[in-house]
Amino acid sequence: MKFALRLTTLGIVFASMLAVIGLRLWYVQVAEGPQTAQAAEELAWLEKTSYGPRGDIFDRNGTLLATSRLVPAVLVDRTFVQPEQRDSLIQSLSSITGFDPIELGILYDDAGINGRFQVVTVSNEIAYVINENLDHLPGVEIAMIPERVYLSGPTLAHVIGHLGLPDANDKEERPDLDLSLRIGKLGVERVYDEYLQGVSGLVEYQVQRGQIVDQQPPVEPEPGNSVVLNIDLELQELAELALEEGVALSNAVKDDARANGEDVFSETQRAAAVVLDAKTFDVLALASFPDFDPQSFVAGIDAETFEGLTDTNAFNNLAISGLYPPSSTFKAITYTAKLEEDLPLAADLEGVDVANQTVHCDGTLVLSKLEDGSQPPKTDWYFPRDLGWLDIHGALENSCNIYFWSVAMGTWRKFKDTPQENILQDWAKSVGYGSTTGIDLTAEAEGTVPTRELFEQWAEYQLENPDKPPLLEPNRLELASPWLGGDLVDMAIGQGAFTATPLQVAVSYAALVNGGRIMEPRVVKEVVDADGNVVFEPESRLVGTVDIDPATRASLLTDLNRVVTRGTAASAFADFGPGLENIGGKTGTGQTSKNRDNHAWFVGVAPIDKPQYIVVILIDEGGSGGRVAAPVGRRIMQYLMGNELTPIVEGAQAD
Amino acid sequence: MTVLNRLRDVAVDRRNNRSDQVLFGTMLALSGFGLLMIYSATRSAGSVSMERQMIFVAAGLTIYLIASNIDYREYRGIIPWVSVAVLLALFAVFLFEPVNGARRWLPLGFFKLQPAEFAKVVVIVLLASLLSPHTRDEIGRRNLRWTHIFQALAVVAVPAALIYVEPDLGTTVVFGFILFVMLFVAGATWRQMVALASATMLGIFVTWQQGWLAKFQLDRIRVLADPTVDPQGIGYNLRQSKMAVGSGQLFGRGLFQGTQTNFEYVPEQETDFIFTAVGEQLGFIGAILVVAAFSVIIWRLLVIAANARDRFGALIAVGIAAMVVFHVFINVGMTIGIMPVTGIPLPFLSAGGSFYMATTLALGIANSIWLLRTPVPGENQLS
Repeated sequence: MKFALRLTTLGIVFASMLAVIGLRLWYVQVAEGPQTAQAAEELAWLEKTSYGPRGDIFDRNGTLLATSRLVPAVLVDRTFVQPEQRDSLIQSLSSITGFDPIELGILYDDAGINGRFQVVTVSNEIAYVINENLDHLPGVEIAMIPERVYLSGPTLAHVIGHLGLPDANDKEERPDLDLSLRIGKLGVERVYDEYLQGVSGLVEYQVQRGQIVDQQPPVEPEPGNSVVLNIDLELQELAELALEEGVALSNAVKDDARANGEDVFSETQRAAAVVLDAKTFDVLALASFPDFDPQSFVAGIDAETFEGLTDTNAFNNLAISGLYPPSSTFKAITYTAKLEEDLPLAADLEGVDVANQTVHCDGTLVLSKLEDGSQPPKTDWYFPRDLGWLDIHGALENSCNIYFWSVAMGTWRKFKDTPQENILQDWAKSVGYGSTTGIDLTAEAEGTVPTRELFEQWAEYQLENPDKPPLLEPNRLELASPWLGGDLVDMAIGQGAFTATPLQVAVSYAALVNGGRIMEPRVVKEVVDADGNVVFEPESRLVGTVDIDPATRASLLTDLNRVVTRGTAASAFADFGPGLENIGGKTGTGQTSKNRDNHAWFVGVAPIDKPQYIVVILIDEGGSGGRVAAPVGRRIMQYLMGNELTPIVEGAQAD
Repeated sequence: MTVLNRLRDVAVDRRNNRSDQVLFGTMLALSGFGLLMIYSATRSAGSVSMERQMIFVAAGLTIYLIASNIDYREYRGIIPWVSVAVLLALFAVFLFEPVNGARRWLPLGFFKLQPAEFAKVVVIVLLASLLSPHTRDEIGRRNLRWTHIFQALAVVAVPAALIYVEPDLGTTVVFGFILFVMLFVAGATWRQMVALASATMLGIFVTWQQGWLAKFQLDRIRVLADPTVDPQGIGYNLRQSKMAVGSGQLFGRGLFQGTQTNFEYVPEQETDFIFTAVGEQLGFIGAILVVAAFSVIIWRLLVIAANARDRFGALIAVGIAAMVVFHVFINVGMTIGIMPVTGIPLPFLSAGGSFYMATTLALGIANSIWLLRTPVPGENQLS
């Protein structure tokens, strides 16, 4: 084909393209134009949303903890604002409400054409002023908007949680979320968000050139359902106060120690408490220190306050997400396992009398004949003392590490490399360690129950990822298996790689004393609608059962009582008041590293004859369990038993 | 024969050739009209866009005058270097923060340069150089060889791929159209054209089947058939712009009248949707006059191609004509619902600096081809 012909062809193609445009313009503008023009004048159905108030939150006795109140709010509907009115409208609104004009401009632009947005909630006086001047404020209206009010303030902050604007994750999980609403971000507000969220109402109306010409019958908004907690507000307040005093006590003890030239590594800053119903697994109190004020999120929290709270871990609920070695509190499980499984004491060790089932608790255990040959004499790390020859009862009462080490060594000798090697760990897992308890709150931690399999996985991971922080000491990797008898010895007293949350400790004690039933703990009792009908009740929450002989249980309860009458918590419980014979407890002092202070634990059981309450206290790097955690637990147990409350003062040093 | 041509070459006194006044006049008229339309679409917000556009128009006309007075044959030597510079600029856009999810701009302080717009003109000149005869022996050649086709594909593929990942699908398609048109005019055989067309169809089919288009890109195509797709987003755009153009009817609502324009119902009206302001305010009469003005420009460019002294100049003029006609077709087509919504501006009318200046540069080059045309139309030689 000649060049000229090609050009001509191209000219025809281009002309056709332009002709198509011309014909389509004729069709759109002239043929269909009149109808379109009419439609542009008439048709604009718009919808307006009104929000149902968020449901209330009550404690178990019906005390109102959180509610919604209707407050006047300034709304702007851009449908009724002409573009040239934008700047003057922003000026007038910001001078009336005091709202920053620049931020108002951003809200306005972000809302988009025809967008409706909330500027700010205002006082009744300002709402009145605006209502009087609506003629000069195009698109502005005053509407009653539900706003969250936390009547309990910072109390229960970690259980109730707080609200916030939906983030990218929330939008992905719940694609039909109304983005102008605040949603639960933490705690009950989050877990039960879909119950608490109100049902939005809708008004549909037709506008023509900015005037409303028709309206559909409105759909009225409905309030959200209310949540009733298992928490007892009065007990919760007492527990939070006691924790705070416990932290103060711990710091006072540290000051004295510093004055005596002893090693103190840090200020005590964190603590947690759990009060659990041993039969129903209702959570009666759940406290974490430090806390925050959920109300500060309602008006929008400023960055400085938020960062300050983040720095102190105030948003962490330590009772369910803090991981600590359960330390001596775990001896109650080793104790039960020894009696139930008839675990042997290590016969070949010095200071072990197998015939009488006693151990010489003089502070040192010589582990001479360990197969791997790596174990030097093991000294009770806590403090040297000679308690004489103790049987299992005396050992629990005095928290004798040597005794439980001997149990672990005997178990190691007997079951090593057999299918029952994990007998002690299986006991730990069967009462709830190493997996989440399933409580109805967010961010619960699992914890770790160390086993040979786990250590071998860790070793493999460590070999594959040499640049990651090591999980095991490097020389372990050279052994045939990184799991050693010494690890089981540590595990038997709740140390080593063993970690658990305060709630897990509470759950395990509940199982030991209630006859072996494990259930999922619940902070929420039920969800009720506006008329009081129950709309949600947790289904069967039984997680599992563990067989414990009634004699073993009775023996444990008796020995837990001896802990508070004669043993490691006796000094802290000296002024408990009447009924001490019906109280049980166990102290614990968790060691994590040579240059951190020990974690102070106390677990209480009451009453002994018919166990109902489990109380767990943890003071993060607080020092000795008997000295600072037991007095806090004692105060809470005094309240539970109806005794007079006595001051939280230092107990005797004990692990 | 050659000696005679050389003599004629010398004999052509450039002063005897006059600029293409019709081309320049139409361009000037469209630019001025564009300023008025931008003002009408943005006047309620102070019309900063129009003030900025006046600067771009002044700069663009200067570029036109300079390009008119440069012998376009000089470009043949420097075009490889210019191409490398443009490629670097296309890479450089990825160094900056994305705007609305796309990386298309180089922030230059006073204005954001969009290298892809200039890349269109550079690729046209590069293709023209590649596809026109380089040696005396090639002059008589009528058809392209397959090696030409593959070289041309390679030359376009690199910038088009970079622009595709910015992402800017619309501009990538513009490159494809320009390539297709220039190959045809340069002498591709019917067999080659059919092969290219089949490969393109296959490519589109595979892309569709494999789901390589993003959801928003698919929606923009689906919405043409079903306006209820994404009614708040792209469906809203399409409905509002069709409503604006349609309600203009035969004579329009009158300048500065019309609810769609005044109430800012049409998003991006001063840039990609400027044609809606024409359609609503000036009706079918105004809209068809604008299309007619573009027809004049296309006609002049094809006349320049026919009269160019060499194949190089002719191909440049054809490439520019293809660019302009495709922009008009896509841009106006999307406001009246026959083309998907893409960010392809309307030449001379849409607010924005990069494409305006790239277009005036292109027309300046075309005018240079016209100024240096041979006295005998259709007589093509080596420069």
